Amino acid sequence: MTQVLSNFIKALRASDVRVSTAESIDAAAALDLVGWARRPLVKEVLGQVLAKTPDDKQRFDDCFERFFVFEDAQLTGGSGDGEPSDGSGDGNEAQSGQGAAGSGGGEGGLAGLLESGDTAALQQSMASAARNVQLQNIRLFTQRGMYIRRVLEDMGIEALDDLLYALLKADDDDPRGARLKEAKARLVESVAEMVDRQMLMYTANAWPKLREEVLQKTPLARIEMRDFKVMQELVRKLAKRLVSLHSRRRHVSRRGQLDVRRTIRRNIEYDGLMFDTVWKRVRVDRPKVIAVCDVSGSVAQVARFLLLFLYSVAEVLPKVRAFAFSSHLGEVTHLFEEKPVEEALTETINTYGMGSTDYGGALAELERLTMADIDQRTTLLILGDARSNDGDAGERALRRMHQRARRVIWLNPEPRAFWNSGDSEMQKLGACADTVEACRTLKHLERVVSEIARTAI
Amino acid sequence: MTTATDTAAAAIAKIQRGFQDSGYIASDAIATAVFIAEALAKPVLVEGPPGVGKTELANATARLLDKPLIRLQCYEGLDEAKALYEWKYGKQLLYTQVLKEKLGDLMAGAQGLKESIARLHEFDDTFFNEEFLEPRPLLKALWAPKGAVLLIDEIDKSDQEFEAFLLELLQDYQISIPEIGTVRAKHPPVVFLTSNNTREIGDALKRRCLHLYIPFPDARLEQRIIESRVPALEADLRAQLVAFVQSLRGMDLKKVPAVSETIDWARTLLLLHAAELDPALVRSTLNVLLKFQDDIEHVDTEVPTLIRQAQKG
Repeated sequence: MTQVLSNFIKALRASDVRVSTAESIDAAAALDLVGWARRPLVKEVLGQVLAKTPDDKQRFDDCFERFFVFEDAQLTGGSGDGEPSDGSGDGNEAQSGQGAAGSGGGEGGLAGLLESGDTAALQQSMASAARNVQLQNIRLFTQRGMYIRRVLEDMGIEALDDLLYALLKADDDDPRGARLKEAKARLVESVAEMVDRQMLMYTANAWPKLREEVLQKTPLARIEMRDFKVMQELVRKLAKRLVSLHSRRRHVSRRGQLDVRRTIRRNIEYDGLMFDTVWKRVRVDRPKVIAVCDVSGSVAQVARFLLLFLYSVAEVLPKVRAFAFSSHLGEVTHLFEEKPVEEALTETINTYGMGSTDYGGALAELERLTMADIDQRTTLLILGDARSNDGDAGERALRRMHQRARRVIWLNPEPRAFWNSGDSEMQKLGACADTVEACRTLKHLERVVSEIARTAI
Repeated sequence: MTTATDTAAAAIAKIQRGFQDSGYIASDAIATAVFIAEALAKPVLVEGPPGVGKTELANATARLLDKPLIRLQCYEGLDEAKALYEWKYGKQLLYTQVLKEKLGDLMAGAQGLKESIARLHEFDDTFFNEEFLEPRPLLKALWAPKGAVLLIDEIDKSDQEFEAFLLELLQDYQISIPEIGTVRAKHPPVVFLTSNNTREIGDALKRRCLHLYIPFPDARLEQRIIESRVPALEADLRAQLVAFVQSLRGMDLKKVPAVSETIDWARTLLLLHAAELDPALVRSTLNVLLKFQDDIEHVDTEVPTLIRQAQKG
């Protein structure tokens, strides 16, 4: 019984539901209480003990349906159709049951089973064989054939083969032999299906995980359009993590005590009589971020991701003004606030993108639009390759903004080696920024944002 | 094994009947959760949209088990002094003042400071015992002589620190008070925590709880709820009303009507002696169901269609 439960938990973990050891113990205790016999009850109980968020519940439901499924028709041909539909209950018993019929497969055991048309017994035999060969450890697609073979061997396919060989050698058209042959083919097929199902269950999440890991390290410019959805999810995850890190810090800083030093200071005007108290309160200065993104042709590949990132940043940080530019610059904050991510990105690129970059004009325009809003709490974040088509680099405007802003961060999607080559004005513009970083992958992005969030508070 | 299942199923059915008798219509999931929570002595974290009867569940459980309901409403800034215990400072002060004169007698004959303090030490615990302790909800729940139902309402509104502070209580049903020691519950209370998901609850807390998600009820369950809450309403109108509300939930609204609003609406219609839904009546009572002007305006034009659908179904 516990074997089934632990296998199920393993499958749950594989589909990205986090189950702790303590919860497994709870699940076992709860199942002791309600037993296995009623499927809806088991599902309800396990759901309450193991899955703790709506997302988890969804995944739990899927996983439960996949795990406790046992189709019992087909196996023995026609005779099996009348089986009770409540296959799951039997299945549970079968997996954990003693599997008397299965292992070893005594003389004619498997042949007998196939001929008798006893679906339940055959299921049982299959399940116990699966347990014997530890099918739950399957990890890779390439192991599929090996596991199918092992399960069949465990069920006693060799004895069956011998029998078949003997029968058909004696008489080519032996009716029993033909029937058995057919039954064997069906058996092999259903074992293959079972193995596939198990593989899917235990490895369901392995591929996406691997892909996510790879994507995080892939330069943004080289990520293909079809991975955009995954990227979007990744960026959102990143943003969510930053939010939770972030809100905690804000809470801690809110606790107050009497600030003696500032109380004395404030009460000097009352001859030092302390009646105007000042409470200690680490000021939560909400970081103001002004983010500017280059969406010109030279960074077209990356622009979508940079914008996606900007969009997510707008969710993490409370006050973000977003701008986009190539040949001219404009504010896109309202787009980001009102529209879903994909629409916002497309519209931004359509409106501002694909022109030839003019850093001089863009930075001057930015200065005109935002200078009044920049103060010592503002972080100016610029995403771009600083390739200004040999025009004005705009470093004077940037310097003026730098003088007033808390800091200027420049993120360049090109690798460092390419900076200052050709029409790149990184040297001039970089000199007016506090931090200059190469920002080529999602990992870089994460590092930068958490740095802003950490030091801004 | 089958017997275990049967006993469990019977117990769950019994809980469901008990709830029904006290006017709370519970789905299988809810009854199962209460059963397991009681049997395993585990707290239940109840989540779901507002107005589906999360708080009412605790009320009904208290009635069912015949135990007192102790409620702790969480809010930002809630701390131990308000949730757990506080010393009765006033009483302590008053007593010291009253006993001041006695002090002379006690000290009589004491040689020097050292001896006086030694004598005082014999008494200091008098002022820090349970007499002077003002129990707040959590301590009350632990002290309850026959056990209790503890409702920690809207845990998501409290701070993260408070959440961490709850862990000891939820795991072992005990609490440490520095001056007294560890207070342990004689009868573990049945604990419900509710959350509206305004923020993510920590994993540590979730791990210690069963998790029950109460969604909006389906039409059949909602009809039963209305039947039990507003029995005077005619069956025909009840069916129409529930169908109407159910279709409202499918629309794109700022705030969809919850069960509590359906009940309110049923009561309103009863009060107006309505025989069936008609557009004028619905329009004039729409503000019972919908709480935003935008939503009311949005639904207003659709009212006839919705009524037709409701009456057909």
